[in-house]
Amino acid sequence: MVLALALAFSSVGASAAELWIGAATADITPDRPVPLTGNTSVRIAREIQSRLTANVLALESREGERVVDQAIMVSCDLCVIRPGIQEGFRKHLAGRLPGFDLNKLLLAATHTHAAPVILQNRYDEKDYGDAMQPKEYVPWMYQRMAEAVVKAWKSREKGAVAWGLGHAVAGHNRRVVYSDGTAKMYGAMNIPEFRGVEGYEDHGVHVLCFYDSQKRLKAAAISLATTAQAAGGNKVSADFWHDVRRLIHEQHGESVCVLGFCAPAGDQTPRAHVNKKSEERMCKLRDLTYCEEIGRRVAGAFDDVAGVIAKDIRADVSLIHRVRQVELPARVITEAEYAVAKKVCEEVDVRKKRLKTDAWTRHFYGLVVERYLAQQKGGWKTYAMEMHVLRLGDVAIATNPFELFVDYGVQIQARSPAVQTFLIQLATSGPRPAYYVPTPRAVAGGALNANPFTNYSATAAANMIGPEGAQVLVDRTAEAINGLWKPPAKQN
Amino acid sequence: MPCFSKGNTMRRPSKSFRSKRTILSEIAGVIAVALAVINAPAAELRIGAATINITPDKPIALAGQFNTRISRGVDNPITATAVAIEAREGERSVDQAILLSTDIVVFFPAIPQPLRERLRAKLPEFDPRKLVMTATHTHTSAVTEEGTYNIPKDGVMQPREYAAFLIERLAEVCVRAWQQRKPGGVSWGLGHAVVGNNRRATYADGTAKMYGVTNDLKFRGIEGGEDHGLEMLFFWDKQKKLLAAGINVECPSQEVESRSTVNADFWHDVREQLHAGLAKDLFVLGWPGACGDISPHRMYRKAAEERMLKLRGLTCTQDIGRRISREVTDVCELARRDIRADVPFAHEVADLALPVRKVTEREVAEAQKEIEVLKKKGDKSRRSAWFQATVDRYRTQDKEPTFTVEVHVLRIGDIAIATNPFELFHDYGAQMKARSKAEQTFVIELTGGWGRYLPTARAVAGGGYSAVVQSNMVGPEGGQVLVDRTVEMIGELWKPTTK
Repeated sequence: MVLALALAFSSVGASAAELWIGAATADITPDRPVPLTGNTSVRIAREIQSRLTANVLALESREGERVVDQAIMVSCDLCVIRPGIQEGFRKHLAGRLPGFDLNKLLLAATHTHAAPVILQNRYDEKDYGDAMQPKEYVPWMYQRMAEAVVKAWKSREKGAVAWGLGHAVAGHNRRVVYSDGTAKMYGAMNIPEFRGVEGYEDHGVHVLCFYDSQKRLKAAAISLATTAQAAGGNKVSADFWHDVRRLIHEQHGESVCVLGFCAPAGDQTPRAHVNKKSEERMCKLRDLTYCEEIGRRVAGAFDDVAGVIAKDIRADVSLIHRVRQVELPARVITEAEYAVAKKVCEEVDVRKKRLKTDAWTRHFYGLVVERYLAQQKGGWKTYAMEMHVLRLGDVAIATNPFELFVDYGVQIQARSPAVQTFLIQLATSGPRPAYYVPTPRAVAGGALNANPFTNYSATAAANMIGPEGAQVLVDRTAEAINGLWKPPAKQN
Repeated sequence: MPCFSKGNTMRRPSKSFRSKRTILSEIAGVIAVALAVINAPAAELRIGAATINITPDKPIALAGQFNTRISRGVDNPITATAVAIEAREGERSVDQAILLSTDIVVFFPAIPQPLRERLRAKLPEFDPRKLVMTATHTHTSAVTEEGTYNIPKDGVMQPREYAAFLIERLAEVCVRAWQQRKPGGVSWGLGHAVVGNNRRATYADGTAKMYGVTNDLKFRGIEGGEDHGLEMLFFWDKQKKLLAAGINVECPSQEVESRSTVNADFWHDVREQLHAGLAKDLFVLGWPGACGDISPHRMYRKAAEERMLKLRGLTCTQDIGRRISREVTDVCELARRDIRADVPFAHEVADLALPVRKVTEREVAEAQKEIEVLKKKGDKSRRSAWFQATVDRYRTQDKEPTFTVEVHVLRIGDIAIATNPFELFHDYGAQMKARSKAEQTFVIELTGGWGRYLPTARAVAGGGYSAVVQSNMVGPEGGQVLVDRTVEMIGELWKPTTK
């Protein structure tokens, strides 16, 4: 009896169980010209650089016949999971996954800026022309993704998992600071006023490998702190994740489902800066585009880690999955910011000759006006988000919907009790856009003005929450993870 | 949110049809390049290399910590490697350099001057000022200055004795490298290896601390950046056999820094693995980049990193060796395709007078207080002397407002090498690289002496060891002058000459 109690106290909050795993991929590449999202004006893509996919991982933890917990994670070659998209997808799936709690499904975006627009009013409809409109693309995309989700769920079978940490230089901090204290995203660095890059970079490549019962690799989830923006351009593209998948398929088999996740990287991008000239030369020597080069590095890190962690494949790991609705303090709009935003909106509204950027500009500043007016009446004080926190063996997984600056990801990892902490940003969607979450040093880099690129990503227009809200997010995430590592309550 | 990527500028050239106009403009470009005679004309390169063991055969005092450590054995040999380069036009020597990388913590004053005098005597055709001497910063190598530690007199090689031994050995390896130079070529490349970690943690109250705890509610982030580019310079003989490699890593070699054994730290593992995997007689120059705020120590997710070491069956220095050597081997094969024998070569040496970081009245008062506290505790480490030096500086700083440092700038083909003697914070290296006219820029710290840490303005604001006045002779003002002058010097080597 004493021994049994001791074991109960020493055991972790989630006892060991069988892990059932399913995976599937959906091709979500539109079959017609389509407007692309990510820029201030819409681009119509008439060609495909690389195909877009949604990659699905279905997990279920069982003890005998009892289901302990579940998760379906979908990595999407999209820019952002826009407001309403995840909710709409869950509704689309209603009734098709008996026994599965749809709240345990999450969508995450790789942030490619060469994916279709998925919000009808993101841009002026007149600019979509004859291309496939968002209101057509989204249901089409849902259908494809739903088939893959159902397939992954229904095909789940007993399997195993392994995890590990590698490294690849795939992201760089894109915020440049100057001698006058200002900061600029993608600012020039070859000038005397350049003082340094504002913040940190995290080059960890977090790998989760999922195997079937014969220890054959079935799926791989990879998280790293950079966005899928190595290439850009006006063609449909999955960016470097296409190259990562291609290389992994060459090495490990076409059937491996590869889920690419973006860790907190609101201030990161693959774009080279300090070493730009020598990076270009090396790409020439390798005969690779820069996008292919990033893919090579990430796939190389994956191959390296996968080989090592194959020594530590575990079948009897626990899965716990908690979904929380979290309220964060919203960034408060100041009177000065309101005045700037109101003026810009008025100028756009009276403009006789419409500019292609007007729809985006009007939305960007218009939301500042809306938020200020609501806040003056006591509203819009908080921002509600959906947070997923999972425990899988010794790994913690935590999501947020933002373009979260890297410092916050570092804080969460540093405070996590897990051996390894796998973070995913741009995951889930709520009723409101999420946007960037800057650090105090980023906010200090410049105030909102009529030029939207002034300290872009750290002004009020680009932030639903600011550093205060971010700190609450970090604290709540750390608490949630810690909660999954607590020993179970005493047994009587 | 839109991120305004301006599109990929790194595409392969389009294979579409090239118009006559395009071809003509390309020809014009080639002619323009041919006419643009650079400040450093192309010449035949002669290259020689050598390595020497500098491991003492007796216990020594180890440099790098506040406390006195006497070595209790040797984990692996400490060495020095020299690569001699001379550019010639016919029989005329155009320019020269001996690049020397040494497994010591820094070049304290006891070494450079006597070493240069020794070389002046042994190599009359070599300008001793063109000796570029770099310390890898291993903290498990010898003390070379008297009076900094309490070293037992018996059974321990004294610093003076080791310094004499070291000078002898360094002179020998430089002479051997110089005398062995033969026609050869160079090539260069950029790889990546995650080795160094910015070691300054910042907190909610605005303070910063080297190796500060990060699993703390008040931890806010890592103060600065990191550069994981591995700049590589390869030296080849005429038969295109690889002779030597200069590897510029933005990380000092101090993973095993607190040990009481002689140890070359991760450079030993890099050399060993390159000898096994790339070329068994390769001469390796270990060059630390601008890494005053960087170290191999992990600041967070230590459990994940340590688990991977266990799974690999490697120590941390072996893993660093693996990351670097794997990348060097990969890039070497690419660089082999672009070996150049007749490259522009120029080597400028300057003594820059940088404004000192002035000690304030408040800082003097704090230093005096600390000295009293340490005295009461009976502290026998170097800390008292460290604070005392600040008090002494305050008294003389108005008469000595500048700190003079030796700076080397070299052009070898399309690359620039820029050195300084500081433990230079990362941001300054980033500035130099971003503003450099060269296609690829190597920034090498701890060269030509020791200027202590050179912190950024944000580091000074945060405080903590390496950014407090005790740690700095030169502060952000001087750091900016260093950057600006280095960039100017590089620019001079890329100017077209006027005939």
